[in-house]
Amino acid sequence: MRNKKKNILLIVLASILAVAFLIPLLWMLSTSFKSDFEAIGGSTFLPQEFTLANYTSTLFNDSVPVFRWLFNSLFVGIAGVSIVLTIDAMAAYGLARLDVPFKKVLFPLFVSTLMIPWVITFLPLYQQFSNLGLLNTYAPLILPYSANAFGVFLLYQFFRSFPKELEEAARMDGANKWQIFVRVVLPSARPILATLAIFTFMSIYNDFLWPLVTTSTPDMRTVTTGIAIMQQGSFVSSYGKLMALTTLATLPILVVFLIGQKSFIKGITQSGIK
Amino acid sequence: MKSKKMSAFTSFLFVLPYLIMFTLFLVVPLIYGVYISFHDWNLLSPIHPFVGGENYARIFTSGTSENRIFLNGLTNTLQFVVYSVPLLVIIGLALAMLVNSLPMKIRGFFRTAYFIPYAVSVSIIAVLWLWMLDTNSGLVNQALEGLGLSAIPWLTKLPYAWISLVIATVWWTIGFNMIIFINALNEVSEEMYEAANIDGASSWQKFIHITLPSIRPIMIFVIITSTIASFNVYGQPYLMTRGGPGESTEVLLMGIVQQAFELRQMGAASAMAMLMSLIMISISVGQFLLTRGKKRKGEEHA
Repeated sequence: MRNKKKNILLIVLASILAVAFLIPLLWMLSTSFKSDFEAIGGSTFLPQEFTLANYTSTLFNDSVPVFRWLFNSLFVGIAGVSIVLTIDAMAAYGLARLDVPFKKVLFPLFVSTLMIPWVITFLPLYQQFSNLGLLNTYAPLILPYSANAFGVFLLYQFFRSFPKELEEAARMDGANKWQIFVRVVLPSARPILATLAIFTFMSIYNDFLWPLVTTSTPDMRTVTTGIAIMQQGSFVSSYGKLMALTTLATLPILVVFLIGQKSFIKGITQSGIK
Repeated sequence: MKSKKMSAFTSFLFVLPYLIMFTLFLVVPLIYGVYISFHDWNLLSPIHPFVGGENYARIFTSGTSENRIFLNGLTNTLQFVVYSVPLLVIIGLALAMLVNSLPMKIRGFFRTAYFIPYAVSVSIIAVLWLWMLDTNSGLVNQALEGLGLSAIPWLTKLPYAWISLVIATVWWTIGFNMIIFINALNEVSEEMYEAANIDGASSWQKFIHITLPSIRPIMIFVIITSTIASFNVYGQPYLMTRGGPGESTEVLLMGIVQQAFELRQMGAASAMAMLMSLIMISISVGQFLLTRGKKRKGEEHA
């Protein structure tokens, strides 16, 4: 009996906290459907007069090319993920299972760089891209993320525990290393690859300072940097429009997040094992 | 013999693509950064004279602008670390324990609810909280006034500016730590709790003597990663308080960005970045040794 009471109390507490966590986002959603007059008043939570005007005017406003930003973010995110998955899986498999020369040096070398603070490479990377004339292109928004050793570390642990018998069987059938990797090893690594994919995508999509300094024109901004620049402009005067814009910018990543939540959580857990 | 060499070569090809990226975007910038920090590196000038340790010396010489920017930034960043890390760890653990004490069926919902803000990018976090905390029309002050309290200048006065930045940060990132703690709590053996129940231990005793020691490695991990994350704070003060009031929330990364891109002094900024990294690494190592040292001591007692 006492336990039941305690349970109810905990559920109530958890619910109050859940409301507190979700209110800013729900408030954003509800305000995006309010007229300017109602948005500033902020008297009621739900819009009394439901309007789509904020969305239609935002979508056709050339000074805030939100679809271009969304495209940029998705494009660099997907490109970055593709590169990271490919090169990290190959490297991790090579180091974990193949006769790579110096692998006893290479793997610890890669992993030790996980402890290097990001800020140490920030300015020289900027200077490198500047020297190559690649600022304000997609290159700096995609390439630097591929040097991160996290994926190699994560996949290495998985490949280490991969059953040898499967590889042996494929070798008996005359498959070479590459064929074994692509046909036997990779398919079995799908869950862990999904984890790495969502981890990488989230970190690229949400990165702020790096894309802020390496892009300079509105058409090259990502969602995160575009919203930040816009927030400092005149657009802020209309809360309804502002919230329509932030809602549009949040939805895609929220969908990715909710779909990939399980993989993401698994990745966090594994990164914590270190 | 030859085929062995051949095999080593083809195996090496697996590592090669990553090794190239690793070299180009990690090793080269590491060395290049040290190199830049020893030069008078004006972004607009094509000539970068070697100045030895002068960029570093200026940071340590009181009265120089570099010294002022670095020290002000470092002090503010350290303040943010001190305010935010304990909350990020304690609330993260508390939320994890709360979620774990709920009936199995509804755990997933609450876990997701607390974790969702993590998926929102920092500029949107800033827009939302700027608006929620707006002195005149913000939701928070409206609620306070509704309760008969006076409005608070959340973003323009101390200590409220720090409180706002910490609240927004906790709200945004706490789910990450919670997930790590939930997993750690699930790993603690049920048998130990059952044994403690038989001995008639209270919930508090069980927490102190079973839960905390069992999750110690994860606790150290969370403390170190949260400290690193808070040290890297940039977006929240840049967008929410713009470093204000005055320069009181201007964090170290903002100072480095200012030195590099407004004053265009890449050399001095790189020296600052080097020092910031050294400080971060020392703190991480210090935290690790300190927490590990404690464990040793504990074992001796046992």
